[in-house]
Amino acid sequence: MKILVCIKQVPDMESRFKANSQGVWFEETDLAFRMNEYDEYAVEQAVQLKEQLGDAPEVTVLSIGPDRVVEAIKKALAMGCDRGVHVQDPAAATRDPWQIASIIASHAGDKGYDLILTGMQSQDRGSAQVGVTVAEELGYACATTLVGFAFSDGTVTAKRELEGGIKGVVRLRTPALVTCQLGLNVPRYPTLPNIMKAKKKEIQTIAVAELLKEEPLATTVSFHPPARKGGGIVLEGDVGVLVDQLLGILKDKTAVLR
Amino acid sequence: MSAKLFKGAEYLISEVSSADVFTPEDFSDEQRQIGATTEQFVLNEVLPHREEIEHHNLPLTVELMKKCGELGLLMIDAPEEYGGLELDKATSMLAAEKLAQAGSFSVTYSAHTGIGTLPLVYYGTKEQKEKYLGKIISGEWIAAYCLTEPGSGSDALGAAATATLSPDGRHYILNGTKQFITNGGIANLYTVFAKIDKQHFTGFLVERTTEGLSVGAEENKMGVRGSSTTQIILEDAMVPVENLLGEIGKGHKIAFNVLNVGRFKLGAGATGAAKRAITEGVRYANERKAFGVPIATFGAIQEKIADQTAAIFASESVVYRLAGLIDDRLATIPKETPDYYEAYQEGIEEYSIECAIAKVFCSEMLADTVDAVVQIHGGYGFIQEYAAEGYYRDERINRIWEGTNEINRLLIPGIILKRAMKGEIPLQKEAMKAFESLMSPSFDELDDSLPFAAEKALLANLKQAFLVLAGSGVQKFMNTIKDEQEILLAVADVAINIFAIESAILRAEKILPALSDSRKASIRAAVKVFTFNGSEKTASAARRAAYYIEEGDTLTMLLAGIRRFTRYDATGLLQAKRQLASASIAAEKYIF
Repeated sequence: MKILVCIKQVPDMESRFKANSQGVWFEETDLAFRMNEYDEYAVEQAVQLKEQLGDAPEVTVLSIGPDRVVEAIKKALAMGCDRGVHVQDPAAATRDPWQIASIIASHAGDKGYDLILTGMQSQDRGSAQVGVTVAEELGYACATTLVGFAFSDGTVTAKRELEGGIKGVVRLRTPALVTCQLGLNVPRYPTLPNIMKAKKKEIQTIAVAELLKEEPLATTVSFHPPARKGGGIVLEGDVGVLVDQLLGILKDKTAVLR
Repeated sequence: MSAKLFKGAEYLISEVSSADVFTPEDFSDEQRQIGATTEQFVLNEVLPHREEIEHHNLPLTVELMKKCGELGLLMIDAPEEYGGLELDKATSMLAAEKLAQAGSFSVTYSAHTGIGTLPLVYYGTKEQKEKYLGKIISGEWIAAYCLTEPGSGSDALGAAATATLSPDGRHYILNGTKQFITNGGIANLYTVFAKIDKQHFTGFLVERTTEGLSVGAEENKMGVRGSSTTQIILEDAMVPVENLLGEIGKGHKIAFNVLNVGRFKLGAGATGAAKRAITEGVRYANERKAFGVPIATFGAIQEKIADQTAAIFASESVVYRLAGLIDDRLATIPKETPDYYEAYQEGIEEYSIECAIAKVFCSEMLADTVDAVVQIHGGYGFIQEYAAEGYYRDERINRIWEGTNEINRLLIPGIILKRAMKGEIPLQKEAMKAFESLMSPSFDELDDSLPFAAEKALLANLKQAFLVLAGSGVQKFMNTIKDEQEILLAVADVAINIFAIESAILRAEKILPALSDSRKASIRAAVKVFTFNGSEKTASAARRAAYYIEEGDTLTMLLAGIRRFTRYDATGLLQAKRQLASASIAAEKYIF
């Protein structure tokens, strides 16, 4: 069995972001980067499946980006993936989801992966398109926002999170692609011995030009913080008058009383 | 690895280049990951239980130590053939630094992995290691180190505990009381020092279940309350002869060599604790309002943040520079050497001066930091609900244990003089040269095109000041200098500050080219602030030493020299402090 996990390296979400000079993405200078949280669930699920199947599956972890993303790949290897693929692309942040998905699909096309796992979305761009587009391009069955996962006899049983806390269960025959959501599992810490062992695992580097054949379908026009909200209104006076004032405001300016 | 292998204390008599120092920015991906795993463990597994741990839930502490074992955090220093990882000191210090955020729990961890485990690693026989090491690095057993006694602390060799061979020759019978034993109440294996026939100071591995060994009551301590500290009482404790550690009469080697690493590790821990404390202080300063604005906007608060951020930068620089020095030296010893650990010990002992420096400098840096953090909190810093209060109490012990800061200060000039006598350091010759330059000042212009030119010129001068003072002291007191403790303390302060200032400058110079403009500005500011504070402290210590040593015209000449040797043009100091403070306030944490 062959498993592929696609991960992205994203900035620490506690960082203070500012727009870059073109105003279409954030300025990366001095930011600390880590593995996308949802992708950690994907890595953990792949490693758990490998353990469930007695070490039989080979788990490949793939990431697209500049050299710094190797650190995220190494973390996935230390968590238990077997080999890494680094698609070397200094301009990854400028690609639209279609291009990113195409890069992954053109790598995976002839590899015969039985199962592909991705995060539900990235914490920075948050398009949630890459996983499903890869599935479409490869003709794989697909289920999104997994909060439960089981595998036996070539069938994935996926528990999905729906609106309002409702859950749905779907079955997929492999080859399949699933995207992972918070609550699916608790990602392990890479242990020190595994961190050191991962040093010996292979990381293949592929130039993005070898895999990217598609033009973007969407262009980011602007990246900016939300406009500052106006200050609150402080009402003063007699209670009776205040109630009337408040009702007036709620009727005119909000949908609360409609 | 750096370009040149430096000897211990060599920094005082030669110029060191930035290529020769290891810095936190030189960590490999693996080291960074180990740091991240350690930090995540502390944040997610330990800190949520801080209250319980502080209230002495020792079973929880033992449980967490097992988790440390599962993650591999207890096997960093252990040899591979016994299941350890045998990683370098830089990694070991990084783990200690990250763990130090855990307060009391980090005391349990440090005592276990440091003085608890290392005697066995360095001096244990194959059989002893096979029997105990696996249990210790997995966290199944906790380890403790028993040296201090009710009547002997700094004078550890004055121990009264005794060991007597049993009539059948199969056991040593141990008697005595050990005091302030960290992990005493939770340990399963104790490294105990006692005198065979009241004469030969020797180490023993003593299991908890040994008949005749009992554990005293938990001490009620000022700080690090969640850690276990007890007496260990030995009453005719029967220890099998095969549990004698190292050689008979050579216990002092074990006791002192292990302390070198312990002191070094304490420096790393103090650095980690200070980072956490200043982060808390900055957060509070942003949150708390006075006169309608956050107190972080006030210069009075900003100055504290700037001074401590710069000091922590220096502290980090000291710790990892020393890690690099030791790692480089240990890397020259082939693993297959039959007496590997003997050579290894000598490698570490080479830097006993720097280990003492790290201990003193980092612990006092932490003391200043937690004091500033309490002050930033105002009245709330005095209330137990606020973390600042705990940081303040927990800090105090660092200036006492692993050799008091006084003992460590005395060691510094003490070892330097010993090595000079043996001809290992050309102190005499260099002191003569320094005297000459005292008489004939040079008026070389600074080459401002070089990075940190003013700071480097100051460094060269501070080294001259050290040599002049050490030379004067030896000339005046000859062999009795070792009894002039006030002078030794002052001279030690000069040596400590030189190492710290130099470490900060060299790290800054090394990392500067790769940084963004805003980071460059912060680093330059940190160097300026720390160099100024450090040079002022050095000048004060040097003057103190001069007054203690000399009088009359010689004193006047010495004081004039000190004035010249400690001169530092810190133009832009206020802007530097504001720059550093505003970067810290924006990031709401320690920024380097």
